[in-house]
Amino acid sequence: MNTKLTQYINKNRQFIPITVTALLAVIAYAVGAMLYPSMRNPQVFFNIFRNNSYLLVSAVGMTLVVLTGGIDLSVSGMIALTSVVTAALLREDWNAWLVIILVLVMGMALGAIMGFFIAYLKAQPWIATLAGMWFTRGMCFFITDNAIAISNRTFDLISRTRIYIPIWMEISQAQSKAPPYISIPVVVSFVILIAGILIAKYTRFGRTIYAIGGNEGRNEQSARLMGLPVNKTKVLVYTLNGFCSALAGILFSIFVTSGHGLYANGLEMDAIASVVMGGTMLTGGSGYVLGTLFGVFILGLTQTLIQFNGSLSSWWTKIVIGLLTLIFIGVQSLILHRKGHRDRGKNLTGEALQQFKRRRFLKAAGISLAVLVIFSWMLYPKLNLGSQSSPTQVSIRCTWLPYRQEQAAELVAKGAVIVYERNGGPNCIDELYAIYPDGLIVGDLNYGESTIEKQITVEEVDLLLAGINDYGWFTDELYDTWHTPCGQCYGYYLTVVDGGIEKTVKGVDGGTDAPFLYWQIISLVKGVIPKFGVD
Amino acid sequence: MKDQKFSSLLKKATESRLFLPILALAIILLFDALFIPNFFAIQVRNGDLYGRIIDIARNASTVMVLSLGMTLVIATGGIDLSVGAVMAIAASVAAIMMNPVIIGLELPPDLMKFINDPNFTYSPLWEVILVTLVVATICGVWNGLLVAYMRIQAMVATLILMIAGRGIAQLITNGVRIQIFYKPYAFIGQGWVLLPFSLYIVLFLYIITWLLTRKTAIGMFIESVGINARASFFSGINEKRIKMLVYTFCGFCAGVAGLIASSNIKTSDANNIGDTIELDAILSVVIGGTSMAGGRFSLLASLIGAIVMQAITTSMYALGVPAFALKAIKGLVVVFVILLYSEPIRVFIRKLTSRKEVRS
Repeated sequence: MNTKLTQYINKNRQFIPITVTALLAVIAYAVGAMLYPSMRNPQVFFNIFRNNSYLLVSAVGMTLVVLTGGIDLSVSGMIALTSVVTAALLREDWNAWLVIILVLVMGMALGAIMGFFIAYLKAQPWIATLAGMWFTRGMCFFITDNAIAISNRTFDLISRTRIYIPIWMEISQAQSKAPPYISIPVVVSFVILIAGILIAKYTRFGRTIYAIGGNEGRNEQSARLMGLPVNKTKVLVYTLNGFCSALAGILFSIFVTSGHGLYANGLEMDAIASVVMGGTMLTGGSGYVLGTLFGVFILGLTQTLIQFNGSLSSWWTKIVIGLLTLIFIGVQSLILHRKGHRDRGKNLTGEALQQFKRRRFLKAAGISLAVLVIFSWMLYPKLNLGSQSSPTQVSIRCTWLPYRQEQAAELVAKGAVIVYERNGGPNCIDELYAIYPDGLIVGDLNYGESTIEKQITVEEVDLLLAGINDYGWFTDELYDTWHTPCGQCYGYYLTVVDGGIEKTVKGVDGGTDAPFLYWQIISLVKGVIPKFGVD
Repeated sequence: MKDQKFSSLLKKATESRLFLPILALAIILLFDALFIPNFFAIQVRNGDLYGRIIDIARNASTVMVLSLGMTLVIATGGIDLSVGAVMAIAASVAAIMMNPVIIGLELPPDLMKFINDPNFTYSPLWEVILVTLVVATICGVWNGLLVAYMRIQAMVATLILMIAGRGIAQLITNGVRIQIFYKPYAFIGQGWVLLPFSLYIVLFLYIITWLLTRKTAIGMFIESVGINARASFFSGINEKRIKMLVYTFCGFCAGVAGLIASSNIKTSDANNIGDTIELDAILSVVIGGTSMAGGRFSLLASLIGAIVMQAITTSMYALGVPAFALKAIKGLVVVFVILLYSEPIRVFIRKLTSRKEVRS
C-alpha cells in the first residue's frame, strides 16, 4: 500500500507544487472565513479577483517568460507607461478603443525589442528587461510629471459595469442579499488566463517554450539541435508578455482611473512571486499557467486577510509573501534535489543508511521548525485571534469622503496658517486640523463628530513653518500626486500660508509617487497636532 | 621599433579590464567639459573642497560600497538582489537605536525633551554602528545559507529577502519614517575632511577587500568557484564556504551603504532608501567588465563603473533633465552596455582588429 502510494506520488511529481498551492489557497480561505465572519460574504471572494485582475494578466505573461528560463522586470514600468499614455491620449479626446489598440501595439513593440536583445544579442534576460523598465518609467516623465485623471465614457462604462454571476444571483435573491458581482477586467483577465493555458499546452509554440526552458535552462542547446526555432520563440514570448503588460496597464488605469509614472512600483516582484507560488520553476521548463491563478489568488488573499485582521499593518503583506515564496521555493528545490539525495544514500546500507535518513530528516525538520517558530513568535501578538469584537472591515474599501475644500478655505480666511486634513484609512476617518499663528490648534473629526484643541507656543508654530519652508514647500519640488487611494490608505491635504502665499498639496500614502519631502512635512505637522485616538 | 612598442602598449591598455570603464568615464567627462560650463570648478570652503566632480564621487559612494560586495558575489556566478532591502533594514535599525521614542517606547521623562537635540542619542554611536552592521551581516548570512547550503538559485534566494526585507524594515520602525537629529551620525554621510567622509569609508573598504582577495588565496578561490564550482570542489576548495563568505560580505557592505544613505538624508525611510539600488550596483559591476556568468573580477573596475553611473546622473541633472526622466537615459545606457558586451558585436570588433593586424 505504502509503496503504491509512493509510486503514485512519484509518477505525478510534477503536480505536487500546483496541488500544494491550490490546497493552501483553499485552507487559507477557509481559515479566514472561520475567523472573520464577514469574509463569508461571496463578494469578498470575487473582490480578490476584482482587485488583482491586472496582476493576473501580467502574471500569465510572466509565467510563459519564466517557463523559457527568462524573466521580465519591465512589467511594472510598462504598466506605468501604458497608464500615462492612455490617460494623456484620452485627455486629448482620442477614441478610447483606438487608444487601447495603440497602447497594446506599443507594449508588443517594446516587448519584441527586448526579446530581440535577449534572443539574438544574447543579453541576460533580466538586464535587458531592466533596461526596459528604466526606459519605460523614464518615458512616463517625459510625457508628464503629474498624475492625469481619466474621464472617458468608455472607460467609465468598463469600470462601472457589474457582471452578476447567474447561479449566485438566485441564491442571493432567495436570501434577499445583494448578489455578488465581478467586473469586466475580471472577465478579461480570465480570458487571458485560459488563452495562456491553451497556448502553453496545445500549441507548437507553447511546447517549444517548455523545451527551451527545461533542465535548468540548459535545454536551450538541445532545443536548438532538435531544430526548434529557439530565437523566434523567445522573441515571441517577450512580445506576448509586452502585450500582457500593456493590457494589465489598461486594466490598472481602469482600476485607479488615472495615469502616473510611479504607479505599480514593484509589481513585477508580485507577478514573479505569484508565478513561483503557482508552482512554476524559476529555472524554467516546469510549471503550469493554471498554477499562476492560485498564486495570484494567494497573494490577493494575503492582502485581504491582513485587511480583515485590522491590527496588522500593510507591510506584513510583504513579509508574508516573502515567506510564502520561500516555502514554495523550498518545496521546489526539495523536489528538484530529491533525486540527487537519493543517489547519495544509495551506496549506504543498514545502519549507515538509517543514520543518513535520520540526519536528513532532522535537518529538514529543524530548518522548517525554526522558520515556523520565528514567524509565529513575530506574528502571535498581532494575530488578534479570539477577539471577534472588532469587526474592522466589512467592505474592503470605505466610501471616500471628499476633500473639505470650502471648509479649509474658510479656516484660512479666519487666519489659520496650516490646514491639514487626513482622510480614509482602515476606519474611514476624516480629520481636519487648523493651526493658528498664536499657537492654537483646532481639530475636527468626521464633520464635527468630535473636536479637539491644543495650545502650543508661538515659537513652536514659527519653528514648524520654518521647517516646512526649509523642506521647500513653496518650490516646484512639492507637487500634487493625487489619485484614488487604496482601501486602507490615507489621503492627505495640506495647506500652508506663509508670507501671504498659500499653497495646497495633496497626496496619498501607500504609493511611492508623492515627493519624499512631502512625507517629511506631513510628519512634522503630525508631530504637533493632538490625536483623536482613532486610526 | 618605437611604433611597435607603442602599439603593443596600446594593445595592453585596450585589453586591460579598466580600459572600457575608464574610456566611458572619459567620454562622459569630455561631454561635460564641452557642454556644461564650470563643470570642473572646485571651490574651497572652510578648507574643504566642493564642486560637481566631488559631488559625483560623494553621491556614488553608496553604490561604490555596494559594488564591492556585489563584485565578489557576481564573481562566484551568483547575484544579490536584496542589497537595497538590507540597506533599508540597516537604516531602520540605526534610526531606532538613536531615536526609539518615535515608536512609542517609553523613555524617562528627562530624556524626552532631548529628542530634537542634535547632541542626543539613545545608544552611543559605536553601538549603533556595530549593531547595524551585525544585523546587515546576518541578512547576508541568511542569503548565503540559502544559496550555498540549500542550493537555491541565487537570484531566487535573494529575491525572498528583497520582497520581505522592506516589510521587515517597516516592522522595525513600526512604519514610521524616523528623523535622525544626532549630529555625529550625520557626519558619516555628510561630513567633510577635505574630501567627503564617505569617500574615506569607500577607500578603506576597498583596501581591505583588495588585500583580502588579492593578497590571500580567497580571490582566486572566488574566481575558480565562479568559473566552475564543481571543478573547484574536486580540487579541494570548499565552494560552499566561499559562497557563504561572499554573500555575508555583500550583506555587510549593504549595511555600510545603509548607514551612509540614512545619514545622508537624515531619516530612515524603509520604502525609499536603496530603492532599485541593487540594479545600479549590478550595473556598475557589469560596466566594470565582470562577467555575469562569474569568473574573473576587478574591484577597481566596479568602483569606476559606479562612478560612471553617477557621472551620467549628475551631468544629466546639470543639463536640466528631471530626476524621474533620468531613468529612461539610464535604460539607454544599459542597452549600450549590452551591445558593447554582446557576442556578435565582440566578434565584429575582433574581426576588425585582426584584419588591421594582417594588413600591417
